[in-house]
Amino acid sequence: MTNPGSTSLDFVQRRAAEERAQLADILTSTGRGNRAAFETLYQRTSTKLFGVCLRIFADRTEAEDALQDAYITIWNKAATFDPGRASPITWLATVTRNRAIDRLRQKGKAGLAPLDEANEVADPAPLAEARLLADAEDRALNGCIQTLESRDADFIRAAFLRGATYAELATRDAVPLGTVKSRIRRALIKLRECLE
Amino acid sequence: MATHMLSEDDIALAAELVLGLLDPAETASARARMAIDPAFSGEVAAWEQRLMPMLEGAEAAPPEKIWHQIQSGITPATGQDNQQGRLRFWQGLSALSTVAALLLGVVALRQPDPPAAPAPVVQAPLMVAALGSDTSNMSMTASYDAQSGRLTLTPVSMDTGDLYPELWLIPADGKARSLGIVTRDRPSRIPVSANLRGLMGKGATLAITPEPEGGAPGGKATGPVIASGTITTI
Repeated sequence: MTNPGSTSLDFVQRRAAEERAQLADILTSTGRGNRAAFETLYQRTSTKLFGVCLRIFADRTEAEDALQDAYITIWNKAATFDPGRASPITWLATVTRNRAIDRLRQKGKAGLAPLDEANEVADPAPLAEARLLADAEDRALNGCIQTLESRDADFIRAAFLRGATYAELATRDAVPLGTVKSRIRRALIKLRECLE
Repeated sequence: MATHMLSEDDIALAAELVLGLLDPAETASARARMAIDPAFSGEVAAWEQRLMPMLEGAEAAPPEKIWHQIQSGITPATGQDNQQGRLRFWQGLSALSTVAALLLGVVALRQPDPPAAPAPVVQAPLMVAALGSDTSNMSMTASYDAQSGRLTLTPVSMDTGDLYPELWLIPADGKARSLGIVTRDRPSRIPVSANLRGLMGKGATLAITPEPEGGAPGGKATGPVIASGTITTI
């Protein structure tokens, strides 16, 4: 008996684990060339992965192209998914992000430019149980990023979501490449310690 | 998790890999390390997980046409199958990367223009392949002259550590035949033996695996496929 008004953490975690196991099975079947599994995978994950593309491409048409490209890559690479190593949704989001950044670089649009307003604002997503857990992780990451110097935090976001490179940072700040590298590496260590 | 064994440098390296901050050579070496160092590969996975919330924005339903376009963009039904032996070999093998596709364009451009004036001579088609990987920057180009039976493999970026790159031909039957060990840093010219020439053709795959000195023992690949590509005629 579940009272939707007071969903227990235990229930939330169990549901999240079930969703994860199901998705891992679907992705594994996709890796064996099962098209029906691939379609199910698309139905279950496309709104989320389209959200990833929209974070990287503010332009909707470009985000749609990036999504299409991402799923073709997912189909081709699904056999390399290892459920023991990564959660299926993280694997899917990582493939999508990497393809989208590749596209951004090919178009010459990658760089340090600040994120568009549209990308910055995260609308509250439909409230699935798993979303509650994701929100907690989101708050933790945001909280920890905010403990970094803002220029380092901005750069880490720009690298992940805009494909910015060390060389661009060094040029903008007019400091040697080695200096920015060691500064960002220290920030990354600090970020990890905060998240532990 | 065994990540306590990693130094701060390793932890930062894993983060840089996930953020895409490494140059191509550093990326290749970090990827190679993931294959042999579970603690490092665990740290990479942990960073992917840690940074994941940044990717989670508004969820939005894509237009319906996207799914149709994806369906027509994936390999035809014959492209993937469930033959176990074939699957085992293909584990870890990834599709032709965009980089490799671009290289293919370069190779095609480098072919000399056909002679304009004289009556056309019937020539065996020139076959080319761009070998690449979705997970590393390994890339090579191959061209095969059916008339002379010679294949030229040109490495653009190839790192097999202490091992030796072995080239394989995988025709439609899915069985890999060795074409021998190739050179890492300069083009290799490989005479294809008479019994394999008939198998060189459009749609066949060329793949590279790292193998011990002297080549794969018993003609069976022991290493993962680090780059692959499909033969095309031009």
